[in-house]
Amino acid sequence: MPEKDNLLEATDVAKAFGNFLAVAGADLVVAENEIIGLIGPNGAGKSTFFNCLAGETMPTSGRIVFAGEDLTRATPEAHARAGIGRTFQVPITFTDMTVLDNVMVGAFLRHPHRNDAREKASRIVELTGLHAEQPARSLGTPGRKRLEIARVLATEPRLLLLDESLAGLTPAELRDAIALVRRIHEMGVTIVIVEHIMEVIMTLTQRVLVFNQGHVIASGTPETVVAEEAVIEAYLGRRHRRLAAGSQPSGQGR
Amino acid sequence: MAVKQLPSSRAVIALLAAALLLYPLILSDPFYRDVGVTFLLAAIAASAWNIVGGYAGQVSVGHSMFFGVGAYAPLLLYTRWGWPPIAGIPAGMVLAVGLALLIGAPTFRLTGHYFSMATIAVAELIRIFFGTWDTVGAAIGLQGPATARGWWDLTFRSELPYYYIFLAALAILLLTTAAIERRRFGFYLRAIKASERAARSLGVPVRQTKMQALALSAAFTSVAGSLYVVKTGFIAPDSGFGILISVQMVIVAALGGAGTLFGPLVGALTLVPLQTVTDNWFGGGGSGLTYILYGGIIVLIARFEPGGLFEMWHRLAPRLRKRAHA
Repeated sequence: MPEKDNLLEATDVAKAFGNFLAVAGADLVVAENEIIGLIGPNGAGKSTFFNCLAGETMPTSGRIVFAGEDLTRATPEAHARAGIGRTFQVPITFTDMTVLDNVMVGAFLRHPHRNDAREKASRIVELTGLHAEQPARSLGTPGRKRLEIARVLATEPRLLLLDESLAGLTPAELRDAIALVRRIHEMGVTIVIVEHIMEVIMTLTQRVLVFNQGHVIASGTPETVVAEEAVIEAYLGRRHRRLAAGSQPSGQGR
Repeated sequence: MAVKQLPSSRAVIALLAAALLLYPLILSDPFYRDVGVTFLLAAIAASAWNIVGGYAGQVSVGHSMFFGVGAYAPLLLYTRWGWPPIAGIPAGMVLAVGLALLIGAPTFRLTGHYFSMATIAVAELIRIFFGTWDTVGAAIGLQGPATARGWWDLTFRSELPYYYIFLAALAILLLTTAAIERRRFGFYLRAIKASERAARSLGVPVRQTKMQALALSAAFTSVAGSLYVVKTGFIAPDSGFGILISVQMVIVAALGGAGTLFGPLVGALTLVPLQTVTDNWFGGGGSGLTYILYGGIIVLIARFEPGGLFEMWHRLAPRLRKRAHA
Protein backbone atom coordinates (compact mmCIF):
# COMPACT_ATOMS: atom_id res chain seq x y z
CA MET A 1 0.00 0.00 0.00
CA PRO A 2 1.75 3.21 -1.10
CA GLU A 3 1.84 5.83 1.58
CA LYS A 4 0.37 9.16 0.70
CA ASP A 5 3.37 11.41 1.21
CA ASN A 6 5.85 9.17 -0.59
CA LEU A 7 6.93 10.92 -3.75
CA LEU A 8 8.94 8.09 -5.26
CA GLU A 9 8.78 4.36 -4.68
CA ALA A 10 11.29 2.18 -6.45
CA THR A 11 10.69 -1.45 -5.60
CA ASP A 12 13.13 -4.29 -6.30
CA VAL A 13 14.62 -2.49 -9.31
CA ALA A 14 17.08 -4.67 -11.23
CA LYS A 15 19.01 -4.04 -14.42
CA ALA A 16 21.00 -6.64 -16.28
CA PHE A 17 23.33 -5.96 -19.22
CA GLY A 18 23.66 -9.42 -20.74
CA ASN A 19 24.93 -11.61 -17.95
CA PHE A 20 26.09 -8.69 -15.86
CA LEU A 21 23.71 -7.64 -13.16
CA ALA A 22 24.43 -3.92 -12.71
CA VAL A 23 21.65 -3.40 -10.18
CA ALA A 24 20.42 -6.46 -8.29
CA GLY A 25 17.11 -5.47 -6.79
CA ALA A 26 17.36 -2.05 -5.17
CA ASP A 27 14.60 -0.41 -3.16
CA LEU A 28 14.25 3.30 -2.57
CA VAL A 29 11.38 5.16 -1.02
CA VAL A 30 11.66 8.92 -1.10
CA ALA A 31 9.33 11.11 0.92
CA GLU A 32 8.37 14.58 -0.23
CA ASN A 33 11.13 17.12 0.46
CA GLU A 34 13.86 14.68 1.48
CA ILE A 35 17.48 14.85 0.34
CA ILE A 36 18.90 11.43 -0.26
CA GLY A 37 22.47 10.51 -1.16
CA LEU A 38 23.61 7.56 -3.25
CA ILE A 39 27.22 6.59 -2.66
CA GLY A 40 29.45 3.67 -3.46
CA PRO A 41 32.58 2.82 -5.43
CA ASN A 42 32.71 3.25 -9.21
CA GLY A 43 30.81 0.50 -10.98
CA ALA A 44 28.68 -0.21 -7.91
CA GLY A 45 25.47 0.30 -9.88
CA LYS A 46 24.43 3.67 -8.52
CA SER A 47 24.57 5.37 -11.90
CA THR A 48 22.55 2.60 -13.52
CA PHE A 49 20.00 2.80 -10.73
CA PHE A 50 19.97 6.57 -11.14
CA ASN A 51 19.38 6.22 -14.89
CA CYS A 52 16.48 3.87 -14.18
CA LEU A 53 14.92 6.56 -11.99
CA ALA A 54 15.41 9.15 -14.75
CA GLY A 55 13.85 6.89 -17.39
CA GLU A 56 16.96 6.65 -19.49
CA THR A 57 17.53 2.99 -18.70
CA MET A 58 14.61 0.60 -18.60
CA PRO A 59 14.81 -1.73 -15.60
CA THR A 60 14.89 -5.46 -16.33
CA SER A 61 12.49 -5.97 -13.44
CA GLY A 62 10.98 -4.05 -10.58
CA ARG A 63 8.66 -1.09 -10.41
CA ILE A 64 9.08 2.66 -10.21
CA VAL A 65 6.13 4.73 -9.08
CA PHE A 66 6.34 8.50 -8.93
CA ALA A 67 3.56 10.58 -7.39
CA GLY A 68 1.17 7.69 -7.89
CA GLU A 69 2.11 7.23 -11.55
CA ASP A 70 3.86 4.07 -12.77
CA LEU A 71 6.92 5.26 -14.70
CA THR A 72 8.75 1.93 -14.89
CA ARG A 73 8.63 1.78 -18.69
CA ALA A 74 8.15 5.47 -19.44
CA THR A 75 10.48 7.54 -21.66
CA PRO A 76 12.82 10.25 -20.32
CA GLU A 77 10.42 12.84 -21.79
CA ALA A 78 7.57 11.37 -19.76
CA HIS A 79 9.74 11.46 -16.63
CA ALA A 80 10.43 15.14 -17.20
CA ARG A 81 6.74 15.86 -17.73
CA ALA A 82 5.83 13.91 -14.59
CA GLY A 83 8.25 16.09 -12.63
CA ILE A 84 11.54 14.21 -12.42
CA GLY A 85 14.51 16.30 -13.49
CA ARG A 86 18.11 15.18 -13.82
CA THR A 87 21.62 16.40 -14.48
CA PHE A 88 24.40 14.45 -16.19
CA GLN A 89 27.65 13.27 -14.71
CA VAL A 90 29.50 14.82 -17.64
CA PRO A 91 27.48 17.98 -18.28
CA ILE A 92 25.70 18.19 -21.64
CA THR A 93 24.86 21.80 -22.39
CA PHE A 94 23.52 23.17 -25.67
CA THR A 95 26.83 24.72 -26.62
CA ASP A 96 25.69 26.89 -29.53
CA MET A 97 23.10 28.67 -27.38
CA THR A 98 23.37 31.33 -24.70
CA VAL A 99 22.86 30.52 -21.03
CA LEU A 100 19.37 32.03 -21.14
CA ASP A 101 18.39 30.06 -24.26
CA ASN A 102 19.61 26.85 -22.63
CA VAL A 103 17.44 27.49 -19.60
CA MET A 104 14.51 28.49 -21.82
CA VAL A 105 14.51 25.02 -23.40
CA GLY A 106 13.75 23.70 -19.92
CA ALA A 107 11.23 26.44 -19.16
CA PHE A 108 9.24 25.71 -22.33
CA LEU A 109 8.08 22.43 -20.76
CA ARG A 110 5.60 24.21 -18.48
CA HIS A 111 5.42 27.54 -20.33
CA PRO A 112 4.80 27.02 -24.05
CA HIS A 113 4.76 30.73 -24.82
CA ARG A 114 8.03 32.46 -25.39
CA ASN A 115 7.60 35.42 -23.07
CA ASP A 116 6.48 33.25 -20.15
CA ALA A 117 9.38 30.86 -20.73
CA ARG A 118 11.83 33.73 -20.96
CA GLU A 119 10.56 35.26 -17.74
CA LYS A 120 10.78 31.95 -15.90
CA ALA A 121 14.25 31.29 -17.30
CA SER A 122 15.50 34.76 -16.37
CA ARG A 123 14.45 34.27 -12.77
CA ILE A 124 16.28 30.95 -12.60
CA VAL A 125 19.41 32.29 -14.27
CA GLU A 126 19.47 34.97 -11.60
CA LEU A 127 18.88 32.46 -8.80
CA THR A 128 21.75 30.28 -9.95
CA GLY A 129 24.12 33.22 -10.38
CA LEU A 130 24.74 32.76 -14.11
CA HIS A 131 24.97 35.39 -16.85
CA ALA A 132 22.02 35.26 -19.24
CA GLU A 133 23.76 36.35 -22.44
CA GLN A 134 26.94 34.35 -21.98
CA PRO A 135 27.42 31.68 -24.67
CA ALA A 136 27.26 28.21 -23.09
CA ARG A 137 30.35 27.31 -25.10
CA SER A 138 32.47 29.69 -23.04
CA LEU A 139 31.58 28.15 -19.68
CA GLY A 140 34.05 26.00 -17.78
CA THR A 141 33.05 22.74 -16.13
CA PRO A 142 31.70 24.35 -12.92
CA GLY A 143 29.65 26.77 -15.02
CA ARG A 144 28.31 23.98 -17.17
CA LYS A 145 27.25 22.00 -14.12
CA ARG A 146 25.51 25.06 -12.76
CA LEU A 147 23.84 25.66 -16.11
CA GLU A 148 22.57 22.09 -16.12
CA ILE A 149 21.03 22.62 -12.71
CA ALA A 150 19.45 25.88 -13.88
CA ARG A 151 18.12 24.24 -17.03
CA VAL A 152 16.49 21.36 -15.21
CA LEU A 153 15.11 23.67 -12.51
CA ALA A 154 13.28 25.50 -15.26
CA THR A 155 11.25 22.34 -15.91
CA GLU A 156 9.90 22.81 -12.36
CA PRO A 157 10.73 19.32 -11.12
CA ARG A 158 9.30 17.87 -7.93
CA LEU A 159 12.20 15.45 -7.76
CA LEU A 160 15.67 16.48 -8.80
CA LEU A 161 18.28 13.83 -9.56
CA LEU A 162 21.80 15.26 -9.33
CA ASP A 163 24.52 13.08 -10.85
CA GLU A 164 27.83 14.25 -9.37
CA SER A 165 26.86 17.84 -10.04
CA LEU A 166 29.26 19.06 -7.39
CA ALA A 167 32.32 17.07 -8.47
CA GLY A 168 35.44 18.81 -9.69
CA LEU A 169 34.80 22.13 -7.97
CA THR A 170 37.24 24.22 -5.95
CA PRO A 171 36.45 24.51 -2.21
CA ALA A 172 34.92 27.97 -2.74
CA GLU A 173 32.82 26.80 -5.69
CA LEU A 174 31.78 23.77 -3.68
CA ARG A 175 30.50 25.98 -0.84
CA ASP A 176 28.45 28.01 -3.33
CA ALA A 177 27.11 24.87 -4.95
CA ILE A 178 26.07 23.37 -1.62
CA ALA A 179 24.30 26.61 -0.79
CA LEU A 180 22.53 26.46 -4.14
CA VAL A 181 21.33 22.91 -3.57
CA ARG A 182 20.09 23.97 -0.12
CA ARG A 183 18.14 26.83 -1.66
CA ILE A 184 16.58 24.50 -4.22
CA HIS A 185 15.62 22.15 -1.42
CA GLU A 186 14.07 25.02 0.51
CA MET A 187 11.96 25.79 -2.56
CA GLY A 188 10.28 22.44 -1.91
CA VAL A 189 12.18 20.26 -4.37
CA THR A 190 12.99 16.71 -3.30
CA ILE A 191 16.55 15.71 -4.17
CA VAL A 192 18.42 12.49 -4.85
CA ILE A 193 22.12 13.05 -5.24
CA VAL A 194 24.91 10.77 -6.45
CA GLU A 195 28.18 12.04 -5.07
CA HIS A 196 31.67 10.94 -4.20
CA ILE A 197 32.45 13.98 -2.10
CA MET A 198 31.71 12.94 1.46
CA GLU A 199 31.45 16.53 2.64
CA VAL A 200 28.43 17.00 0.37
CA ILE A 201 26.83 13.80 1.59
CA MET A 202 27.49 14.63 5.24
CA THR A 203 26.28 18.22 5.09
CA LEU A 204 23.38 17.95 2.67
CA THR A 205 21.67 14.60 2.89
CA GLN A 206 19.23 13.27 5.42
CA ARG A 207 19.53 9.66 4.34
CA VAL A 208 22.15 7.70 2.43
CA LEU A 209 22.08 4.52 0.35
CA VAL A 210 25.37 2.75 -0.13
CA PHE A 211 25.77 0.65 -3.28
CA ASN A 212 28.30 -2.07 -3.80
CA GLN A 213 28.38 -4.60 -6.64
CA GLY A 214 24.77 -3.92 -7.56
CA HIS A 215 23.44 -4.28 -4.04
CA VAL A 216 22.40 -1.73 -1.46
CA ILE A 217 24.71 -2.70 1.38
CA ALA A 218 23.64 -0.06 3.85
CA SER A 219 21.15 2.73 4.35
CA GLY A 220 20.35 5.21 7.05
CA THR A 221 21.41 8.63 8.24
CA PRO A 222 24.84 9.75 7.01
CA GLU A 223 26.28 9.47 10.52
CA THR A 224 25.21 5.86 11.05
CA VAL A 225 26.14 4.78 7.51
CA VAL A 226 29.73 6.04 7.61
CA ALA A 227 30.25 4.20 10.85
CA GLU A 228 29.17 0.86 9.42
CA GLU A 229 31.94 -1.65 8.98
CA ALA A 230 30.66 -2.89 5.58
CA VAL A 231 30.64 0.65 4.17
CA ILE A 232 34.15 1.40 5.37
CA GLU A 233 35.31 -1.88 3.90
CA ALA A 234 33.65 -1.41 0.49
CA TYR A 235 33.95 2.28 -0.10
CA LEU A 236 35.29 4.73 2.41
CA GLY A 237 38.43 2.99 3.51
CA ARG A 238 39.99 3.35 6.95
CA ARG A 239 41.16 6.91 6.51
CA HIS A 240 37.64 8.19 6.12
CA ARG A 241 36.59 7.01 9.56
CA ARG A 242 37.17 10.50 10.91
CA LEU A 243 34.58 11.80 8.44
CA ALA A 244 31.96 10.66 10.85
CA ALA A 245 33.00 13.82 12.66
CA GLY A 246 32.64 15.68 9.36
CA SER A 247 35.91 17.53 8.90
CA GLN A 248 37.45 16.44 5.57
CA PRO A 249 36.79 19.12 2.91
CA SER A 250 37.71 17.20 -0.25
CA GLY A 251 36.51 13.74 -1.06
CA GLN A 252 37.30 10.65 -3.02
CA GLY A 253 37.18 10.18 -6.76
CA ARG A 254 38.85 12.19 -9.47
CA MET B 1 25.03 44.19 -26.97
CA ALA B 2 22.13 42.41 -28.68
CA VAL B 3 20.06 45.57 -28.50
CA LYS B 4 22.83 47.58 -30.08
CA GLN B 5 23.15 45.16 -32.98
CA LEU B 6 19.47 45.19 -33.81
CA PRO B 7 19.16 48.42 -35.82
CA SER B 8 22.24 47.66 -37.91
CA SER B 9 21.13 44.10 -38.73
CA ARG B 10 17.69 45.47 -39.62
CA ALA B 11 19.36 47.92 -41.97
CA VAL B 12 21.31 45.09 -43.60
CA ILE B 13 18.10 43.11 -44.10
CA ALA B 14 16.32 46.12 -45.61
CA LEU B 15 19.27 46.72 -47.91
CA LEU B 16 19.32 43.07 -48.99
CA ALA B 17 15.57 43.08 -49.64
CA ALA B 18 15.88 46.23 -51.75
CA ALA B 19 18.79 44.75 -53.71
CA LEU B 20 16.81 41.57 -54.41
CA LEU B 21 13.75 43.56 -55.48
CA LEU B 22 15.68 45.83 -57.81
CA TYR B 23 18.26 43.38 -59.16
CA PRO B 24 16.38 42.23 -62.30
CA LEU B 25 15.34 45.78 -63.12
CA ILE B 26 18.87 47.12 -62.95
CA LEU B 27 20.57 44.13 -64.59
CA SER B 28 17.87 43.52 -67.18
CA ASP B 29 20.00 41.35 -69.47
CA PRO B 30 18.32 37.89 -69.74
CA PHE B 31 21.57 36.26 -68.69
CA TYR B 32 21.65 38.10 -65.35
CA ARG B 33 17.95 37.52 -64.80
CA ASP B 34 18.48 33.82 -65.38
CA VAL B 35 21.30 33.79 -62.84
CA GLY B 36 18.97 35.61 -60.45
CA VAL B 37 16.24 33.01 -60.87
CA THR B 38 18.73 30.18 -60.40
CA PHE B 39 20.02 31.88 -57.26
CA LEU B 40 16.50 32.23 -55.81
CA LEU B 41 15.68 28.61 -56.52
CA ALA B 42 18.89 27.44 -54.83
CA ALA B 43 18.16 29.71 -51.86
CA ILE B 44 14.59 28.41 -51.51
CA ALA B 45 15.63 24.76 -51.65
CA ALA B 46 18.54 25.25 -49.23
CA SER B 47 16.41 27.30 -46.80
CA ALA B 48 13.79 24.55 -46.86
CA TRP B 49 16.48 21.93 -46.16
CA ASN B 50 17.85 24.18 -43.42
CA ILE B 51 14.80 23.64 -41.19
CA VAL B 52 15.56 19.99 -40.59
CA GLY B 53 19.17 19.79 -41.78
CA GLY B 54 20.43 23.01 -40.22
CA TYR B 55 18.33 23.88 -37.20
CA ALA B 56 17.59 20.30 -36.12
CA GLY B 57 20.97 19.02 -37.32
CA GLN B 58 19.45 16.05 -39.13
CA VAL B 59 21.62 16.11 -42.25
CA SER B 60 19.41 14.68 -44.96
CA VAL B 61 21.21 14.06 -48.24
CA GLY B 62 18.01 12.79 -49.81
CA HIS B 63 15.95 15.95 -50.00
CA SER B 64 15.74 15.57 -53.78
CA MET B 65 12.93 13.11 -53.01
CA PHE B 66 10.76 16.04 -51.88
CA PHE B 67 12.02 18.31 -54.65
CA GLY B 68 11.18 15.61 -57.20
CA VAL B 69 7.71 15.00 -55.80
CA GLY B 70 7.07 18.73 -55.99
CA ALA B 71 8.41 18.83 -59.55
CA TYR B 72 6.42 15.88 -60.83
CA ALA B 73 3.08 16.80 -59.22
CA PRO B 74 2.28 19.85 -61.43
CA LEU B 75 3.17 18.11 -64.69
CA LEU B 76 1.35 14.94 -63.71
CA LEU B 77 -1.82 16.95 -63.07
CA TYR B 78 -1.30 18.72 -66.38
CA THR B 79 -0.67 15.64 -68.54
CA ARG B 80 -3.45 13.59 -66.90
CA TRP B 81 -6.22 16.14 -66.48
CA GLY B 82 -4.98 19.27 -68.18
CA TRP B 83 -4.77 21.24 -64.93
CA PRO B 84 -2.63 24.36 -64.88
CA PRO B 85 0.76 23.32 -63.49
CA ILE B 86 0.52 25.80 -60.62
CA ALA B 87 -2.34 23.73 -59.16
CA GLY B 88 0.27 21.06 -58.54
CA ILE B 89 1.99 23.11 -55.86
CA PRO B 90 -0.41 22.22 -53.02
CA ALA B 91 -0.69 18.67 -54.34
CA GLY B 92 3.09 18.34 -54.27
CA MET B 93 3.22 19.72 -50.73
CA VAL B 94 0.66 17.19 -49.51
CA LEU B 95 2.50 14.32 -51.19
CA ALA B 96 5.86 15.51 -49.84
CA VAL B 97 4.52 15.71 -46.29
CA GLY B 98 3.07 12.20 -46.68
CA LEU B 99 6.41 10.96 -47.96
CA ALA B 100 8.22 12.71 -45.09
CA LEU B 101 6.07 11.00 -42.48
CA LEU B 102 6.54 7.64 -44.20
CA ILE B 103 10.32 8.05 -44.54
CA GLY B 104 10.88 9.79 -41.22
CA ALA B 105 9.53 6.97 -39.08
CA PRO B 106 12.25 4.44 -40.04
CA THR B 107 15.13 6.80 -40.89
CA PHE B 108 14.93 8.79 -37.64
CA ARG B 109 15.79 5.57 -35.84
CA LEU B 110 19.26 6.35 -37.19
CA THR B 111 21.44 9.28 -36.26
CA GLY B 112 24.43 11.09 -37.73
CA HIS B 113 26.02 9.66 -40.87
CA TYR B 114 23.72 6.65 -40.80
CA PHE B 115 20.69 8.89 -41.10
CA SER B 116 22.34 10.74 -44.01
CA MET B 117 23.13 7.51 -45.81
CA ALA B 118 19.62 6.17 -45.33
CA THR B 119 18.15 9.32 -46.88
CA ILE B 120 20.47 8.98 -49.89
CA ALA B 121 19.33 5.39 -50.36
CA VAL B 122 15.63 6.28 -50.23
CA ALA B 123 16.02 9.15 -52.70
CA GLU B 124 17.97 6.95 -55.09
CA LEU B 125 15.33 4.20 -54.88
CA ILE B 126 12.63 6.72 -55.73
CA ARG B 127 14.69 8.06 -58.65
CA ILE B 128 15.17 4.58 -60.07
CA PHE B 129 11.51 3.77 -59.53
CA PHE B 130 10.37 6.90 -61.38
CA GLY B 131 12.71 5.97 -64.22
CA THR B 132 10.73 2.79 -64.85
CA TRP B 133 7.21 4.00 -64.04
CA ASP B 134 5.24 4.67 -67.24
CA THR B 135 2.59 6.89 -65.64
CA VAL B 136 5.25 9.51 -64.95
CA GLY B 137 6.93 9.08 -68.31
CA ALA B 138 9.60 6.65 -67.09
CA ALA B 139 13.11 7.71 -68.16
CA ILE B 140 11.81 10.44 -70.49
CA GLY B 141 9.80 12.22 -67.83
CA LEU B 142 6.95 14.69 -68.24
CA GLN B 143 6.42 17.86 -70.23
CA GLY B 144 4.32 20.90 -69.42
CA PRO B 145 2.21 23.06 -71.73
CA ALA B 146 4.24 23.95 -74.83
CA THR B 147 2.40 27.23 -75.28
CA ALA B 148 0.43 29.02 -72.62
CA ARG B 149 -3.34 28.41 -72.74
CA GLY B 150 -3.81 31.43 -70.51
CA TRP B 151 -2.00 33.40 -67.83
CA TRP B 152 -2.75 30.64 -65.30
CA ASP B 153 -0.30 28.31 -67.05
CA LEU B 154 2.45 30.68 -65.95
CA THR B 155 4.51 30.22 -69.09
CA PHE B 156 6.27 33.50 -69.65
CA ARG B 157 8.89 34.30 -72.23
CA SER B 158 10.54 36.75 -69.85
CA GLU B 159 12.37 35.67 -66.70
CA LEU B 160 10.98 38.62 -64.82
CA PRO B 161 7.66 37.16 -63.58
CA TYR B 162 9.43 33.98 -62.44
CA TYR B 163 11.96 36.06 -60.59
CA TYR B 164 9.30 37.81 -58.53
CA ILE B 165 7.24 34.66 -57.94
CA PHE B 166 10.37 32.91 -56.64
CA LEU B 167 11.30 35.92 -54.56
CA ALA B 168 7.86 35.91 -52.94
CA ALA B 169 8.23 32.20 -52.13
CA LEU B 170 11.65 32.82 -50.60
CA ALA B 171 10.26 35.68 -48.51
CA ILE B 172 7.43 33.49 -47.17
CA LEU B 173 9.89 30.73 -46.34
CA LEU B 174 12.31 33.06 -44.54
CA LEU B 175 9.49 34.68 -42.57
CA THR B 176 8.29 31.22 -41.55
CA THR B 177 11.82 30.25 -40.50
CA ALA B 178 12.23 33.48 -38.53
CA ALA B 179 8.98 32.74 -36.70
CA ILE B 180 10.17 29.20 -35.93
CA GLU B 181 13.46 30.55 -34.58
CA ARG B 182 11.66 32.56 -31.95
CA ARG B 183 9.22 29.90 -30.82
CA ARG B 184 9.44 26.84 -28.65
CA PHE B 185 9.67 24.69 -31.78
CA GLY B 186 12.85 26.49 -32.83
CA PHE B 187 14.43 26.17 -29.39
CA TYR B 188 13.59 22.46 -29.40
CA LEU B 189 15.19 22.00 -32.83
CA ARG B 190 18.44 23.61 -31.66
CA ALA B 191 18.38 21.56 -28.46
CA ILE B 192 17.95 18.36 -30.46
CA LYS B 193 20.85 19.33 -32.69
CA ALA B 194 23.10 19.87 -29.67
CA SER B 195 22.11 16.75 -27.74
CA GLU B 196 19.06 14.54 -28.09
CA ARG B 197 19.83 13.01 -24.72
CA ALA B 198 19.83 16.32 -22.88
CA ALA B 199 16.78 17.51 -24.82
CA ARG B 200 14.84 14.40 -23.81
CA SER B 201 15.77 14.87 -20.17
CA LEU B 202 14.09 18.29 -20.31
CA GLY B 203 10.87 16.85 -21.69
CA VAL B 204 11.46 17.66 -25.38
CA PRO B 205 9.42 15.20 -27.48
CA VAL B 206 12.38 14.46 -29.73
CA ARG B 207 10.84 12.09 -32.30
CA GLN B 208 7.73 14.17 -32.75
CA THR B 209 9.69 17.40 -33.10
CA LYS B 210 12.01 15.88 -35.69
CA MET B 211 9.05 14.57 -37.68
CA GLN B 212 7.39 17.98 -37.66
CA ALA B 213 10.61 19.59 -38.83
CA LEU B 214 11.02 17.06 -41.63
CA ALA B 215 7.39 17.49 -42.75
CA LEU B 216 7.69 21.28 -42.84
CA SER B 217 11.03 21.10 -44.61
CA ALA B 218 9.62 18.60 -47.13
CA ALA B 219 6.63 20.82 -47.89
CA PHE B 220 8.84 23.80 -48.72
CA THR B 221 11.35 21.69 -50.66
CA SER B 222 8.45 20.44 -52.74
CA VAL B 223 7.49 24.05 -53.49
CA ALA B 224 11.02 24.58 -54.79
CA GLY B 225 10.56 21.58 -57.09
CA SER B 226 7.18 22.84 -58.29
CA LEU B 227 8.53 26.31 -59.02
CA TYR B 228 11.44 24.82 -60.90
CA VAL B 229 9.14 22.81 -63.14
CA VAL B 230 6.66 25.64 -63.65
CA LYS B 231 9.53 27.60 -65.12
CA THR B 232 11.37 24.91 -67.09
CA GLY B 233 8.27 23.04 -68.25
CA PHE B 234 9.72 19.54 -68.13
CA ILE B 235 11.02 17.05 -65.62
CA ALA B 236 12.91 13.74 -65.75
CA PRO B 237 14.09 11.38 -63.00
CA ASP B 238 17.57 12.91 -62.90
CA SER B 239 16.51 16.56 -62.88
CA GLY B 240 13.88 15.78 -60.21
CA PHE B 241 15.45 13.18 -57.94
CA GLY B 242 19.15 13.32 -58.84
CA ILE B 243 21.59 13.23 -55.93
CA LEU B 244 23.22 16.49 -57.05
CA ILE B 245 20.00 18.28 -56.16
CA SER B 246 20.23 17.00 -52.58
CA VAL B 247 23.93 17.70 -52.37
CA GLN B 248 23.44 21.24 -53.64
CA MET B 249 20.95 21.98 -50.86
CA VAL B 250 23.39 20.72 -48.23
CA ILE B 251 26.32 22.64 -49.68
CA VAL B 252 24.50 25.92 -50.20
CA ALA B 253 23.21 25.85 -46.62
CA ALA B 254 26.49 24.69 -45.09
CA LEU B 255 28.54 27.17 -47.09
CA GLY B 256 26.57 30.12 -45.78
CA GLY B 257 25.89 28.65 -42.36
CA ALA B 258 23.50 25.79 -41.60
CA GLY B 259 21.01 26.52 -38.85
CA THR B 260 21.04 30.28 -39.39
CA LEU B 261 18.25 32.27 -41.02
CA PHE B 262 20.30 33.85 -43.78
CA GLY B 263 22.99 31.18 -44.10
CA PRO B 264 21.39 29.51 -47.14
CA LEU B 265 20.94 32.91 -48.77
CA VAL B 266 24.61 33.75 -48.32
CA GLY B 267 25.54 30.28 -49.57
CA ALA B 268 23.43 30.65 -52.72
CA LEU B 269 24.80 34.13 -53.26
CA THR B 270 28.31 32.65 -53.27
CA LEU B 271 27.79 29.33 -55.01
CA VAL B 272 25.45 30.23 -57.87
CA PRO B 273 27.68 32.93 -59.42
CA LEU B 274 30.67 30.62 -58.94
CA GLN B 275 28.83 27.84 -60.72
CA THR B 276 27.76 30.15 -63.53
CA VAL B 277 31.32 31.23 -64.08
CA THR B 278 32.71 27.70 -64.23
CA ASP B 279 29.86 26.61 -66.51
CA ASN B 280 30.70 29.44 -68.88
CA TRP B 281 34.41 28.70 -68.88
CA PHE B 282 34.05 25.05 -69.63
CA GLY B 283 30.77 25.03 -71.53
CA GLY B 284 28.77 21.81 -71.72
CA GLY B 285 31.90 19.76 -71.18
CA GLY B 286 32.20 21.19 -67.69
CA SER B 287 29.14 19.51 -66.25
CA GLY B 288 31.24 16.96 -64.42
CA LEU B 289 33.06 19.89 -62.91
CA THR B 290 30.07 20.56 -60.66
CA TYR B 291 30.94 17.42 -58.72
CA ILE B 292 34.52 18.56 -58.31
CA LEU B 293 33.41 22.01 -57.20
CA TYR B 294 30.98 20.54 -54.66
CA GLY B 295 33.58 18.09 -53.41
CA GLY B 296 36.12 20.88 -53.00
CA ILE B 297 33.66 23.04 -51.09
CA ILE B 298 32.73 20.18 -48.78
CA VAL B 299 36.40 19.65 -47.95
CA LEU B 300 37.00 23.35 -47.35
CA ILE B 301 33.94 23.81 -45.12
CA ALA B 302 34.62 20.67 -43.11
CA ARG B 303 38.30 21.49 -42.64
CA PHE B 304 38.30 25.23 -42.04
CA GLU B 305 34.89 26.65 -41.32
CA PRO B 306 32.25 24.16 -40.12
CA GLY B 307 30.02 27.09 -39.18
CA GLY B 308 30.01 28.44 -42.72
CA LEU B 309 30.71 31.91 -44.09
CA PHE B 310 28.23 33.50 -41.72
CA GLU B 311 30.08 32.35 -38.63
CA MET B 312 33.40 33.26 -40.19
CA TRP B 313 32.08 36.77 -40.67
CA HIS B 314 30.91 36.95 -37.07
CA ARG B 315 34.34 35.91 -35.91
CA LEU B 316 36.30 38.18 -38.20
CA ALA B 317 34.08 41.29 -38.16
CA PRO B 318 35.05 42.47 -34.64
CA ARG B 319 38.75 42.05 -35.47
CA LEU B 320 38.40 44.00 -38.71
CA ARG B 321 36.50 46.73 -36.92
CA LYS B 322 39.21 46.94 -34.29
CA ARG B 323 41.85 47.19 -36.97
CA ALA B 324 39.88 49.97 -38.68
CA HIS B 325 39.74 51.90 -35.44
CA ALA B 326 43.42 51.46 -34.68
